[in-house]
Amino acid sequence: MTVAELKNDGKACAMDTAHISSARELRVVIDLVVNGERVIEEIEPNMLLLHFLRDRLKLFGAKEACGEGECGACTVLMNGYAVTSCLVLAVEANGAEILTVEGLSKGNELSILQQEFVFQDALQCGFCTPGMLMSARGLLDNNPNPTDEEIHEAMAGNLCRCTGYLQIFNAVKRAAEREREEREE
Amino acid sequence: MLSQFDYVKPLVLNEALAALAKEDNSYVLAGGTDLMIMLRHNAINARHIIDIKGIPELNELRFIENEGLTIGANVVVNALVDSELVKNKYKALHDAASCLASFQLRNRATLVGNICNASPGADLPPALLVYDAVVKIASVDGVREVPLVEFFTGVKKTVLTKNELVLSVFLPDPGDNDASCYLRQTRLKGHDLSTVGVACRLDGKGKVAVAIGAVAPTPLRLKALETAINEKGLSGETILWAADAINEHIKPISDVRSSEAYRRHMASVLLKRCLVTLTGKEV
Ligand code: FES
Ligand code: FES
Repeated sequence: MTVAELKNDGKACAMDTAHISSARELRVVIDLVVNGERVIEEIEPNMLLLHFLRDRLKLFGAKEACGEGECGACTVLMNGYAVTSCLVLAVEANGAEILTVEGLSKGNELSILQQEFVFQDALQCGFCTPGMLMSARGLLDNNPNPTDEEIHEAMAGNLCRCTGYLQIFNAVKRAAEREREEREE
Repeated sequence: MLSQFDYVKPLVLNEALAALAKEDNSYVLAGGTDLMIMLRHNAINARHIIDIKGIPELNELRFIENEGLTIGANVVVNALVDSELVKNKYKALHDAASCLASFQLRNRATLVGNICNASPGADLPPALLVYDAVVKIASVDGVREVPLVEFFTGVKKTVLTKNELVLSVFLPDPGDNDASCYLRQTRLKGHDLSTVGVACRLDGKGKVAVAIGAVAPTPLRLKALETAINEKGLSGETILWAADAINEHIKPISDVRSSEAYRRHMASVLLKRCLVTLTGKEV
């Protein structure tokens, strides 16, 4: 008899086992890591992760556009996986590691992925760009050699109203190549 | 700003069930991709949120040969997409999981949440229906099992009472030589519910199963049509006949996604494509 325990480990949802308290609370203290720095804040449970990042931490990279998981403008990485932060409560991020677009560059030096968005003209107004970058980051972290189809799939949840989709695709593809070259060096 | 609620994250199941039984206006939170939208629209009056992601047994994703696959309430859709076993054994489920919403949503959205939300146009139910899925439900009063065909009772309605929580969905082992697929028509890839979604399965004994979403208040398993197809035998001629006959078994409406006529047309086309894919027959 085969019993296969299937992989259900790294995913953002099932992964998060940090405990808050078994008492019902109207205010909770959350303790998480945002862009490599530990953050401890008291919040109300009805605060969205997106609003926590923007209003409390003043990280304005993630954007609120649709607020309903349709556009991807609010995408951040949660425990390494791209999520739409407009559909996540801040309290759910307790114990999690969050990466926003602000955490991609090293000081003033843009990451390869960001550089390629510039080189390939993958942004016009730039409103969708933080979300695009985070979806792409989530993809390349979990799958450094994506096929074209996998790039399309990973980016399909991000809308660009300026519609430079081809350039965005090219930027992700080129960034994957350059990151691979860099790793091999 | 969402309306005010309190939040609890139990680490054991009994605590969650007790919390659910204790107060009205309690809602279960797993992936939250449907719940957050309802909260945002004030479509529900949630005063208490019970986050079940701290309960380890609900993370179960396990296959036992000759028994089947258990998918716990916390299992996110991308975990199914990433699973080779799901792809090999339950292809229709893999197809449906792969096209559900967008990548980011699939990282949070759970299969169990998808069925509990009971949207007529949801992608996963047709795929689960052709595999005779069974839903395992718990409350403070005990555990019960309900076949998925009996689980949906109307648009956004299920047999669940407000004290109940779905623990998992179980799919029997289809054995060898089983094939299936799920095809859908949608307005916009990556963002929309299906306009019509059809799942077909051809089991090891050569019997066909058909289920369809977005053409009635609930997802449908088309048993009568299956019986007719199986009696006729799966020839190219039968496939063409079935593509026509499916229209007697569905009750689509016109809405923002599609007209009734287009839904009928696509139900027919998708059924034909599914059966051709599974049988390799020319029509
Ligand atoms: S604002 Fe979150 S997906 Fe659009
Ligand atoms: S660059 Fe303007 S929305 Fe994408």
